[in-house]
Amino acid sequence: MDNTLQKTQNGKRRINVSKGKEKTVGALFFVCAGLSVVAVFGIIAYILYASVPAFREYGFFQMLFGAKWNTERGEYGLLTMLVNTLVVTFGALLIGGTIGVFTAIFLVFWCPDRFHLRYEGKNRALRRIARAVNAINLRTVFDQVIKLLSGIPSVIFGYFGVSVICAMIKGMDVYGIGKGPLASALVLAIMIVPTIASLSKNALEAVPQSYFEGALALGNTKAQAVFRVVFPAARSGVVSALILGVGRAVGETMAVAMVSGGRVFFPEGLFTPVRTLTTNIAIEFADAGHAWDDPLRSALFASGFVLLLLALVVNLSLNLVPKEYKGKKGTKQLRGQGGEAVYRKKGLVPEILKYAAFFMAALVVAVLISIILFILINGIPHLSWSFLFGPSDFSHPSLLPAFISTGYVILISLAIALPVGIGAAIFLVEYAKPGSKLVKVIRTFVDTLAGVPSIVFGLFGNLFFCKIFGDTYSVVAGSFTMALIILPTIIRSTEESLIAVPASLREASYGLGAGKARTIFKVVLPSAFPGIATAAILAIGRIVGESAALIYTSGMLVTTEGSAVNPMNMGATLTVFLYMCWAEPNSYLGFNQAYATAVVLLLCTLILNFAVYLIQRRVQKKQKR
Amino acid sequence: MKDRITETGAKNRLDRFDFTGETAVRVEGVDLYYGDFQALKKIDMTVKKHEITAMIGPSGCGKSTLLKTLNRMNDLVEGCRVEGKITVGGRDIYAKDTDLSALRKNVGMVFQKPNPFPMSVYDNVAYAPRTFGVKKKDLLDEIVERSLKQAAMWDELKDRLKKSALGLSGGQQQRLCIARALSVRPQVLLMDEPTSALDPISTGKIEELCEELKQDVTIVIVTHNMQQAARISDKTGFFLLGELIEFGETEEMFTSPKRPETERYITGRFG
Repeated sequence: MDNTLQKTQNGKRRINVSKGKEKTVGALFFVCAGLSVVAVFGIIAYILYASVPAFREYGFFQMLFGAKWNTERGEYGLLTMLVNTLVVTFGALLIGGTIGVFTAIFLVFWCPDRFHLRYEGKNRALRRIARAVNAINLRTVFDQVIKLLSGIPSVIFGYFGVSVICAMIKGMDVYGIGKGPLASALVLAIMIVPTIASLSKNALEAVPQSYFEGALALGNTKAQAVFRVVFPAARSGVVSALILGVGRAVGETMAVAMVSGGRVFFPEGLFTPVRTLTTNIAIEFADAGHAWDDPLRSALFASGFVLLLLALVVNLSLNLVPKEYKGKKGTKQLRGQGGEAVYRKKGLVPEILKYAAFFMAALVVAVLISIILFILINGIPHLSWSFLFGPSDFSHPSLLPAFISTGYVILISLAIALPVGIGAAIFLVEYAKPGSKLVKVIRTFVDTLAGVPSIVFGLFGNLFFCKIFGDTYSVVAGSFTMALIILPTIIRSTEESLIAVPASLREASYGLGAGKARTIFKVVLPSAFPGIATAAILAIGRIVGESAALIYTSGMLVTTEGSAVNPMNMGATLTVFLYMCWAEPNSYLGFNQAYATAVVLLLCTLILNFAVYLIQRRVQKKQKR
Repeated sequence: MKDRITETGAKNRLDRFDFTGETAVRVEGVDLYYGDFQALKKIDMTVKKHEITAMIGPSGCGKSTLLKTLNRMNDLVEGCRVEGKITVGGRDIYAKDTDLSALRKNVGMVFQKPNPFPMSVYDNVAYAPRTFGVKKKDLLDEIVERSLKQAAMWDELKDRLKKSALGLSGGQQQRLCIARALSVRPQVLLMDEPTSALDPISTGKIEELCEELKQDVTIVIVTHNMQQAARISDKTGFFLLGELIEFGETEEMFTSPKRPETERYITGRFG
């Protein structure tokens, strides 16, 4: 694509403004952008197509509103699962939404910058420790806590749910098990907290400082100003955050599969076993026949289709959130408020809410710490060299094949999704008219793709990619599926970093006579590199954490037997391995192996989060200069 | 002209501020630091009741800073330290037991950029009374009407009280903010360059309004516009690099300034 500068015969450089080539490049980017539209339609069409036999046999509405699901008797009503999904999601929203929003409020308004330890004594070491502790930026730490919580693979939450949450609440259960709607809602709540907290935080920070000051100047306490003016001003953003949290909860599969009890009953209490739409697919798919019109298989695709519709509705409802207010200049500095200020008449409700915010934030930290400790304490004793990197067979499964499979999936899916995603972002930012219909349509589709539950991607991958690559599970098919999953993330974050590149840089390049393509490749993309790198790392995190989309695409095979080296064969990634320890336990593969694997995954998450943090800190430092 | 808000929740606090005397605000030997930077140096100033006091000076001279110390909005700035004594209505407002909400109820503030809350016109004006515990609908209605009338915009707005305040023009928004500040019957009204974001016509309206409000409240206004200070104020203070260079009758200051710096500034030779 080096089409701009060429040497002519007399050695002078001549600018080659070849319009044809420029157009080709532009068209290429357009194709990349269009791909997400195609993907959304493709997924809907394929899954609908595969559910046709079931719909034809039982009728669409009968499936949707039939309550009985019995595979042996050939009854495939989805209503029970639909209701369970809604109930569990609602519970998660109630708990996780409250915790997430209040945590965001704490973070924006009350999180102190740093500790204020005072040690004036003689002990040098203690003094140094005090200084080091005081140097910690608490806001950054808290941000990282939330990011870490969102990066932990969902299967780990499943184990935490089974072993800790169920154990905590089983005292209330007459059967002493603890699984069911309550456990599912609690686990989901923890999982949607980071989404809700970080998006609500953005919304709160976008509220102009002048609202806050205006309220204080009218005699409000800080809590009154926050809860009566600033928070209402951010409500549309907070509502969007809650909706995205709902999307996440509706689509979550593995963690719920582990704590819901898995039986097709309506929820009759907090502890009756239930099964949601997603878990239904995960649990039953292995038993389904391979033929296209196998009734169970088709019914599962049908439940995937219903799930997809549900996700689409959730996603589209985002557009209904009124955007009455748009913050121009926000703030990150709503602090201060001198220590000895006295308010004789504090509003009671805002004060209570303030302490609620403190409490919820502390709760989030406590949950993260307990998850990490739970994994480390249970996992580290079972880590060994032979378990990590030894040869793997059925009686001595090791993680080596899983490492290799995971590596393949990361490499292949990034190799596909990065160029396509960057190309799409370039089209949206550099080629398309900003704010045009086309851009809006493509963005809507990218967001829709991002909202599709991963188990639905798994179904699509099973239908489409597994067919293409030899009609069987394979690491390649899993990688292509993952490429689709990470595509929206990559497009969105690349877009953001492209928009952040100042227009003056582009103008300078054009001013020197460079063409559009050259400007993009030589000027814009290099300045956007940190953003793209961040997107890639986040994508890796998603791949490492994903399991629902992979179990029925790349398969669940843990042994090497010379096979995992070849990406055309099936192979379990680390997270799938972790899931198998629970789903198909045997004397060699159980909770001990699971915890050890979880330690490895936790380490991966930590490293990836740290990498993102380093990149972002560097960018911020550069901007300050 | 007393309405019931002063008698509802705020009674026992209000009597701590005593505005019966001549002086509304007294600033005595005030130094103010932002970290190591000294933004105000030994300021002495007396604001008389029912007068308009203007503060002028080049950007960064400390006039807005001084204004914000009068209702302690400077508390928001981290590392801000005030030394000296500021009395409002006979009370040292930096004393440890100062009730900030009572202070800010008595010392209202209007900001440089209009900052109506994203609520209806009515809710904006009713906001502060509600904060102070007024719940009765008819009392709130009364306060809203009185405040909007005081801000000379009742006729403009009485039919759109339920509309969002963000839909008003910039000048209207600013006058609404004045009405909002007046809703709790402050004794002192601080105005931080209230017209700098407005067009000349809206500016004229606000200046007119200040003249009228003088009967009810004491106004301290920071302005970049010297003509504005000359037009509306009774007293003027000229600030330079954190010092109050000259303070006195406005007419005198603009006709025969005592200090050469003041003369150079008002004749436009620096600043």
